[in-house]
This record gives sequence, C-alpha cells and structure tokens, in this order.
Amino acid sequence: MSIPMLQLRGVSKRFGGIQALQNIDLVGQAGEVHGLIGPNGAGKSTLIGCITGVNRIDGGEIRLRGDRIEQLPVHRRARLGVARTFQKIRLAQQLTVFENVAAGLCAKRFATASGWRGVLAPLSSRAIAEPVEDALVATGIADLADEKVASLPYGKRHFVELARNLVAEPDVILLDEPATGLTDDEREHLSMLVRQMAERGTLVILVEHDLNLVGRLCDTVTVIEYGRRIFNGTPAEAQDDEAVVRAYLGSAKLAKEAQA
Amino acid sequence: MSETSAWILRALFVAVLATLPFLVNGYWLNMAILALIYSLVVYSITVLTGFTGLLSFGQAGFVGLGGYTYGVLSVKGVDPAAAAAWGLLVPTVAGFLLGLPAARLRGHYLAIGTLGFGVLVGQMLNNMVDVTRGPMGLLGIKSFGFDRVTWFYFVLALAVGLCAALEYLDRRTFLGVVLKSVKYDEISASASGIGVFAVKLLAFSASAFLAGSCGVLLAAYMRFLTPDLFISAESFRYLMMSVVGGVGSASGAIISSLILTAVPEALRAFGETNVRLLVYGLMVLFVLWFLPGGIGGLIDRLMTPVRRRITPRPRVAEPAPQPTSLPGRAS
Repeated sequence: MSIPMLQLRGVSKRFGGIQALQNIDLVGQAGEVHGLIGPNGAGKSTLIGCITGVNRIDGGEIRLRGDRIEQLPVHRRARLGVARTFQKIRLAQQLTVFENVAAGLCAKRFATASGWRGVLAPLSSRAIAEPVEDALVATGIADLADEKVASLPYGKRHFVELARNLVAEPDVILLDEPATGLTDDEREHLSMLVRQMAERGTLVILVEHDLNLVGRLCDTVTVIEYGRRIFNGTPAEAQDDEAVVRAYLGSAKLAKEAQA
Repeated sequence: MSETSAWILRALFVAVLATLPFLVNGYWLNMAILALIYSLVVYSITVLTGFTGLLSFGQAGFVGLGGYTYGVLSVKGVDPAAAAAWGLLVPTVAGFLLGLPAARLRGHYLAIGTLGFGVLVGQMLNNMVDVTRGPMGLLGIKSFGFDRVTWFYFVLALAVGLCAALEYLDRRTFLGVVLKSVKYDEISASASGIGVFAVKLLAFSASAFLAGSCGVLLAAYMRFLTPDLFISAESFRYLMMSVVGGVGSASGAIISSLILTAVPEALRAFGETNVRLLVYGLMVLFVLWFLPGGIGGLIDRLMTPVRRRITPRPRVAEPAPQPTSLPGRAS
C-alpha cells in the first residue's frame, strides 16, 4: 500500500494534569473524507491543533506523505500543504474578503525560499488575482470580494475561511465544525465543496457534530472519547458500534431503544 | 469621492506644498522642512504599528542612532554620503537586533520593551561623552551642501515619494496583505503559511531604517545635535503624530506631521506661556474624539471603495450549487 497522506501514530498531548489525547492513531489517504467525531471535550480540536502545529505533542509521531512533521512550526506545516479552518472563525475582520483569501496564498508562495521575491507583486497581478477569484467563485462569494469580513453574516465567513484554504491547494484540509450556523443551502454547498476537494485528491478531515452530514460525506470516521480513540471504520459501522453509540450518539438513543 | 478627484486632490496638495518657498518666510520654511523630515519617523510607525500591529515607544532611539551615527562620522571627516549610509545601516541593524527579542513580545510587554530601548539609547547618547560630546552637543556636522530651498524640495520629494510608496504597499501589494494579516490575527496568519516571526523582524528592521533616515536628515539639516532631541518624550510625540494622522495611513502621517509641527509654532502668538500647550493638547483630543480613525480614517471615509467585478473564467466555470440534484451518499 502506498504511503498515506497523513499518519498519526501514538499521538499524546497533556495539558497540565489533563491527558487531552492518549495514544491516538489515525491514517488518512489522499482523496479521502475522514470524519473525526466525539462528544464535547473529547479532544477533537486538540487533535486538529496537534496536526497543524498549534499544540506540540508530548508523544508519538505525525507523518505527512511519510515525512515526520511534529516538530515543525505552524507556518512550515501550512507550507507543506496542511490547511485548516477554525471552530471559532479566525479571519482578519477589518480586511476585505479578497485580502483574506489572498493571504491564504502565502502557504503556496512561501513554500519555496524564493517566495519572498514575489511579495511586492500587486494584488491585481494575474498570479494573485486569478487563484483568489477562482476560490471566491468556487465558494460562491465572488460578489462579496470587496466587503469587509466584519460586515458579513456568520455563514458567509465560513466560506471565506474555506476559500482562504482552497486557494493554497492544500494536500490536507482540516475543517473544524464547518457546518455550524449554516443554512440548509449553505450546508449543501459545503458538502459539494468537500466532495470536490476529495475528488481533487485532498485529504479532508472533518470535525462535525452533524452526524447526518458526517454519514453522507465521510468515507471513514474516527471516534474519540476522553482523548482515546474508541472507533475507526466506516460511518455505517460506527452506527452499529456499541461503544460509539454509548459514548457519542448518547443516552437518548439508548433510552429510545430501551423504550422500544 | 471618485478615484479621479482623489488624484486631483493629491496633486493639489503636493502643488500647494511646492509653492511654499514663494509664500512663506525663512522661519516657516524651516518649520516645513523639519515637519517633512519628521514625517519619515511617523512613517516608521505607520509600517510597524499601522501595518504590522506592533506598538513601539522607542522610535526616538532609532532616530537618535541614525542622527548621531551620521553626526559623529561626519565630524570625524567621513564623507557625508558614506556617513549617511552608516547612519541608515546602524539603526536598521539595531532594529533587527531589537526585533529578535521584541518580536516575541506582545501588547504591554512589547511597549515597555521598546520604551526601554528608547531610554537606553537616550542615556547612551548623553553619557558617551567621548564619542557624542554628551549634553554639550555635537557641533560641526557637515551637510550635503544644499541651500534651504533645495533642502525643502529634497525632503518634500522624499516625504511624498515615501508616502506614495507606502500607500501602494499597503493597499495594492501582496506584502501589504501579509503584514496586515499578522496585525489582525497571528494565529490564522501562521495557519496560512505566514512566518509571523520573520514578518515582525522585517517590520522592525524597515521601521528602524525609516526612523534612522529621519535622524540622518535631522543631523544633516540642523548640523547640531543634542541628546535631548532623542529622549522618550520625542517617541511619544511621534506616536501622537501617528495617531492624529491615523495609524497605518501614510497620507495621514504626512498631513499630521505638518499640522502638528505648524500649530505649536502658530500658537506662539499666545506668548511663551503654557496656554499654547493647553490649546495644542485640546486640539489633539478633539481630533481623537471626532476622528477616531485620524486624518487617514477621514480620507478613507471620503473615498468610494473600488469594487471589482468577478466573472468566473471559463476553465473554472463550476456549476452553481444545486442541492437537490446532489447524489446523496446515504449511509
């Protein structure tokens, strides 16, 4: 089997007295949509932080295309093709949508040492405007290009963050609850984008509470609880797994079954 | 205000300034030259604080390093051009070195750290009597051999040219976006592949270079330096000019350094009493009350923002989202 796009082996992270993650394994292939689910506080966002480099891991290893990356700082991992969105959206509020998305190009432009040479390029130059406009069109926010992010409704900001990620053509994209606060139409648009990314060979790691969406989109899911991996398999298998049902699908379902 | 009328206003502003030597006496021309030289240090704050979001209370330190490097070398007989080159290099290197620790600091800590640097340079200039002659002042600095009117046009061209370059950098270039991304959100900036530390180092060095150039010009123009030209109170004066101009707006910076240099002089009509400072202080307060974005914020509000029209290019023409037609991958 070929080298996986992303491979986590025995990843552990401790915050003071709290073992946030313990011995997590995860394998993601190019073109896969990999769901990462678990109850609140299970460690999903911590794990995203470990993969992107915000959190330094205490044990284990993280490999991107076979190369270890766990010691690299955030921006170096981004340049290697790891992109992410944030659970609590992080954008430059006072900058326009266009400028925010253009910033996403840094991951690609600074990936080589000569990247600094192009920094004085005008924003209107083809090398910048074309990919940015493509990303804006793909995410359906082309008409908002010159709006300040601060003036956008919450749902649209998700798409700005997505466009900012897409423009860098990442190999791995980590979406931290991207569907929160979206309308049904926006949710469908998001699903379509996720599929398109996967078709292009990107590994999409999707942290999401909407299990319906996870079920429809994901090829594989990893379930974590209290910082431990309790399940890895297809979404269909997850629904039948007792540990998963108990941990995540919650007491409501068990109660319903007990009633029946 | 459309793009065309904005260009007309800019041209008018420069034209009015260019006629100053014919309109005012030597005293006021002198003031205008100093104001334009000071606009360079205000630009240094535009780059550091306005673009990159790093607050410095020690800019006078860089101005002092630039001024005294030029001054001391020039007194020792070094050619003015070479002395000026050193006067630019020394503060730039100092800015880089200060950036190494300072770029890791944030908020109040950064402010206090840079304040410390400013005080350090001020004290150094005062106490290194063998080199700087300390409080006795440095006399006999050689200049570029310009007369006053030439000086005026020289610094006018420099100030206006830098203003245009910075506005362009800020609004039109990729680097502007990189700097502002760091200013508004470091975490998402680094997640987008921006080396935040490197960007901050660059900002510190560039800012120190601009402040140093202000020092070199001050030394060459005045041909006399004392350490109290570079004490911390000066750093705060520059910061005030920057805030009134709108931090981050180079156009605001040049206008504000002209106004804030001219007004205290004009207020000398009140006599040499503190009434002058009172009026001055109140004026600054009023600007901040009614123009929180400073002069630059006012300019921005008057400008009609440029709207681009994005049409999908053929090769990326992707179908509009059609939720109903999507094949569900039902589980």
